[in-house]
Amino acid sequence: MSALQTPERKLIDRELVGLRSRPHQYPGARSARAWRWTAGSGIALVVLATAHIVAQHFVVHGTGGLRTYQQVLDFVANPVLFVIECGFLFAVTIHAMLGLRSVLHDLVARPRTRRRIDKTLWVVGTLTVTYGLALLITLAIRA
Amino acid sequence: MTTDELRAHAERHDQAPVHHKGPGPALSGWLDPRGRTLGGRSFALHRLTGLALVLYLYIHLGVLSMLLVGKSAWGSFLGTVTATGFLVLDVVLIFGLLFHGLNGIRVALVGSGIGVRHHRTMFWAATVVGTCVLIYAALHVLGAL
Repeated sequence: MSALQTPERKLIDRELVGLRSRPHQYPGARSARAWRWTAGSGIALVVLATAHIVAQHFVVHGTGGLRTYQQVLDFVANPVLFVIECGFLFAVTIHAMLGLRSVLHDLVARPRTRRRIDKTLWVVGTLTVTYGLALLITLAIRA
Repeated sequence: MTTDELRAHAERHDQAPVHHKGPGPALSGWLDPRGRTLGGRSFALHRLTGLALVLYLYIHLGVLSMLLVGKSAWGSFLGTVTATGFLVLDVVLIFGLLFHGLNGIRVALVGSGIGVRHHRTMFWAATVVGTCVLIYAALHVLGAL
């Protein structure tokens, strides 16, 4: 059996396993799903980014409308605003990673390179959300 | 075919220097405005603003890390970014957000099959709305309101 494990055979086996585990998936399903997530997170961002920018720049009086240190802590300590900011962080990261994926996939045709791009963006996105959440939680605790 | 569609069809065969390196247009292809229709130009600007906003996301996260340092660090940072030069950059950022957001709504609608025949009208309507919001935001950020 091991004699049959040529690189080509392994590739065929992997493709077959993939097809069996996702029998409903048609070619291009991943791109369609990515487009739906991009559009969905984009629509969510229209609301969340507007709320974020208005709250951070248009509510506070003064040049630039920026919050002082204590004002930032008070803002993050509000549970409703904390949840909105977390939602904003998730939506913006998902949208950014899918946008980058779209640009990079247009420049690269090789499936293996595209899979590497996908994996890298997953890691970068996860790190971004983790760091953002850690920042928000730390500030909320300090308030 | 309408006159606009015929013109767009002819424009597509113009001599824009698109060098294909993958299945889509290469970066040099999007950045060249020659031989592009309205949709092509807005696609290019959508991507450019998107890439700029991703860059800004990480700059923003880096800047917010100053809050972890403490009150004095944030205070001195505020002193720097409320200078007029930085506030003008804020206005450029708002332009990027508005263009990307409003054009994104148009793309999402057209991509979902809604208003496909009116995509040009939607583009110009979004331009008018975006310009009005940008003027208000610029005046507010620069302290004129």
